[in-house]
Amino acid sequence: MSPLARYLVINLIQIGFLLVFAPLLQGVLTRIEEIIQGKHGPSIFQPYYDIWKLFGKDEIVSEESSWVFRFAPLIEFAMPIFVVMLIPALTAYPLFFAFAGDMIAVGFLFAASGFFVALAAMDTGNVYGGIGASRTRMVGFLAEPVFMVAFFTLSYVANSTIPYVVNASWAVSWAAMLQPAHLLVIVAFLLLVLADEKRLPVDNPAGKAETAMIGHSKNLEYSGTGAALMKWGGAMKFMTVLIVFLNVIITPWGLAATTHWSDVFFAIPKVLWKMFLFLLVLAVIETTLAKLRLFRISEFLASAFVICLLAMGVRLVGMG
Amino acid sequence: MPTYLAIDGFLAALFVVFSLGVIATRQMLGTLYLFMLNSLALTASAVLIGIALGSPHLFWVAAITFSTKVIAIPLVLRWSAGPQIYERREVEQVLTIPVAVLIAAVLALVAWIVSAPLVHAISDRPFAAINLPTGLVAIFFGAFTVAVRREAIAQLMGILIMESGAFFASISIVNDLSIITEVAAAVDLPVIALVIGLLIRNIHRVTGITRVGLLAELKEHR
Amino acid sequence: MTLAWILIVPAIATLAALASRRAAPWVTLASAVVVLALSANAALMVAGGATLHEAFGGLSLDALSAVYLLLVAFVGVTAALYSIGYLRVHDAGHEGTTPRYRAYWPLYNLFMISMLGVPLVSDLAVIWIAIELTTIFSAFLVAYENRSAALEAAWKYVALTSVGAMIALFGMLVLYYGIHHAGQPVTWPGLLAAAPSLPPALLLVCFVLWLVGFGTKAGLVPMHTWLPDAHSQAPASICALLSGVEVSGALYMLLRIYPALVRNPGIAHPGNWYLVAGLLSVAVAAFLLLQVHDFKRLFAYSTIEHMGVILAACGLGMGAHELGTVYQFFAHAFTKSFCFYAAGMATIVFGTQEIAKVRGLMSRAPVAGWALLLGGLAIAGAPPFALFISEFQILATGFATGQYVATGLLTALLVLAFIAILYQVGRIVFGEPAQAAPRMKLPASSLAAMAIAFVPMLVFGFYLPPPLQALIHQAAALLGGTP
Repeated sequence: MSPLARYLVINLIQIGFLLVFAPLLQGVLTRIEEIIQGKHGPSIFQPYYDIWKLFGKDEIVSEESSWVFRFAPLIEFAMPIFVVMLIPALTAYPLFFAFAGDMIAVGFLFAASGFFVALAAMDTGNVYGGIGASRTRMVGFLAEPVFMVAFFTLSYVANSTIPYVVNASWAVSWAAMLQPAHLLVIVAFLLLVLADEKRLPVDNPAGKAETAMIGHSKNLEYSGTGAALMKWGGAMKFMTVLIVFLNVIITPWGLAATTHWSDVFFAIPKVLWKMFLFLLVLAVIETTLAKLRLFRISEFLASAFVICLLAMGVRLVGMG
Repeated sequence: MPTYLAIDGFLAALFVVFSLGVIATRQMLGTLYLFMLNSLALTASAVLIGIALGSPHLFWVAAITFSTKVIAIPLVLRWSAGPQIYERREVEQVLTIPVAVLIAAVLALVAWIVSAPLVHAISDRPFAAINLPTGLVAIFFGAFTVAVRREAIAQLMGILIMESGAFFASISIVNDLSIITEVAAAVDLPVIALVIGLLIRNIHRVTGITRVGLLAELKEHR
Repeated sequence: MTLAWILIVPAIATLAALASRRAAPWVTLASAVVVLALSANAALMVAGGATLHEAFGGLSLDALSAVYLLLVAFVGVTAALYSIGYLRVHDAGHEGTTPRYRAYWPLYNLFMISMLGVPLVSDLAVIWIAIELTTIFSAFLVAYENRSAALEAAWKYVALTSVGAMIALFGMLVLYYGIHHAGQPVTWPGLLAAAPSLPPALLLVCFVLWLVGFGTKAGLVPMHTWLPDAHSQAPASICALLSGVEVSGALYMLLRIYPALVRNPGIAHPGNWYLVAGLLSVAVAAFLLLQVHDFKRLFAYSTIEHMGVILAACGLGMGAHELGTVYQFFAHAFTKSFCFYAAGMATIVFGTQEIAKVRGLMSRAPVAGWALLLGGLAIAGAPPFALFISEFQILATGFATGQYVATGLLTALLVLAFIAILYQVGRIVFGEPAQAAPRMKLPASSLAAMAIAFVPMLVFGFYLPPPLQALIHQAAALLGGTP
């Protein structure tokens, strides 16, 4: 097999990895949180059952809605698949599509899906969808400059915005890992992950009250296949963000260093193990923090922004 | 040595983040916990530099910092102004928190730029390049906390963070402070916390609030 | 053992004041008198230019610190004597029973220890601690009234001066490194010896941090906002200590670093920093003096003005200025404590501090009226009082050395302050009382304290005993940078 074809196959393996394990992460996270709260909790495979069940159901679409409503689940489902081809999900070396887009492109792809989902939420005329969409946009607007500064800080360190290059520049030594700028970016990015994935303290993923929802009201109007795609796509987006956070920023280890099949397949449990550890941290954060009031979210993200600026400043003055 | 420097930079970053937290956090008790974390970062940095430079004095500094700031001051405050601190309340601000943290970022940059000539003048201390600017950042943050927070406890934390900032800077350059100074500093801080805590309790007893920023009886024109 | 005893005696007095409520005032007064005697003795020993060392070098005294030590000890005596009667009238009805009164005397002694420590301690970092402790121990003295306004003033005082102290601490620790690195002990002589070889950037950054940090404590504009509040709310005896000696303790630090700046070849015109900071304080205070509504705030702004004058005088430089600086520093303590005693009497008479509500002090209580008038004249710098000599000396030196702009500006501002103070004092002292009231009987011990404080304020305007003269000349020489 030629190296190029091999890269292509590994890319496909990455997509498969994403498709297969994304619902599992959701299930594990829910289970951990339930256990911390002293409950038994559903099986970790529950999201698979849910998606399977939803695929088998009829779909009801409002007569008032337009094509956007039917189109949005496909976008939501497809974008993480594009994104995972650009980032180091399993391999430490760049793959076939690695140079097709950098981290800013990752941001744009997610922004595109966010745009369609927001439109679709307002499309049916359901009030809760509209409220949720506008709140999601508000958080998005506040989070975007922070994402930009975080990416610029990362690229400033690595002299590149390609995620594979960034991750390699941390992994060279402990001294590189422990730079103050790196730590600050990690802290800021953690806050961003919480905001972007609509976790506590920004939004309550387990909340059932529509009036308080931010990110989760987008699924309210969907049923059947549409709901399944939205759920699966959301899980994959969560996993992709974790991959960026873990493989590119915090822990650039455990990835396949060669193109041997065994290496690539052994990377899967290693990456899953890192994700499991992070889910533990996330579960602790989510079970100890209370949800912020809506207008406090700007403070939360302003702190993230300032931490990013500090990271940039540390680099600028040459301390880190 | 590069590894020590890197870990010290890591601690410096933590130190700055915790100081920033004192400006940004809403919960009153949170400011106290962040101050304790901040002091832990100071302790760790003192231990690290002590190991790196082989200076037992810095272990003393670390021990004194830990015992005063992480143990004694919270105890003293609990005793002197306990109910005022440990009730769950939010801290009021003069500025909104996003504006405050943005200004804090500008202050941090100013501190880094201002300290550059000083770092240049102290070229024989490897850790000074990290600790000196960081200490100055914490001093700026602390002063800014006093300026923007209306709550007495938060203002006290600002003052204490300034003190920590001065020590964070000094452990990198003065690794042979005389014992008398260290002991005096160790006694000094809990006394400050005690007196200010009692003052807070009196303010609360007389006025019913501890939001000192709202006290505005003293003006030039009546 | 003289120097150690100066600190030990008030410590014993603190314990005694804690033990016996009844004896506390007298114990405190006795300790203050003993401290004054010991300090005068120590000052005599260093008046010839010697330096005393004690406690393995932990305590030391030279002429400049002896001047400050004498001031603290003297105002300590008069303020203790004054408070005995003043607090009795002030707490009329339940004197001696309130918790704040019981706390007053031990705190007074602790406050004295911390202030006495500033000139006595050798190690610069320990001096910093002593200065911070002056704030801490005086917090509850400022908040003595225990009303919300007094507590607000105390909070502002503690918060702002502590912020200043922390800024100064940073400068102190950097300076500590510099002096230590130059192989000198971290004391004032060590600083002077190390000064020529310190990196100019390091010394200058330390100085600027001190100027901001200690400047806050010294009430320099624009960090002065706490000062009028604290002085309008604290009891008059505490005001005298705060204004007369505590505030100038921070200024003492700034004066002592001046010779080090001069000796460093890399720092051009260090005096300009002093001149600008000083003139700014004098200017702002002079204009604020015109519009005050509270006569204790009047004297508080006058303190800001005087701190500015001392700093500006130091900055004028050129040889002979030191004498004026030290003399101003010296005379201010006596004069300002007397002014606050008089203002305290006026508060007792009228029950308010508002200038607009106060008329005809002279007919209500002639002693207090005369005291306030003479105090106002003295603090404004009228002859024949001590401050006239020092201000005249400063201005004459400034003109003689050709610094016409700065000295001219200083002269104009001093004239403005003079007019402002006398205008305000005149409103209080003269005129008809609003309602006819019987003559007030003023507490005897407070009047005695005022009489004692009056003597140096007047006498040092035309006669200075030879030992004091020698001491001040020595101190001026130290300020000039003679090691």
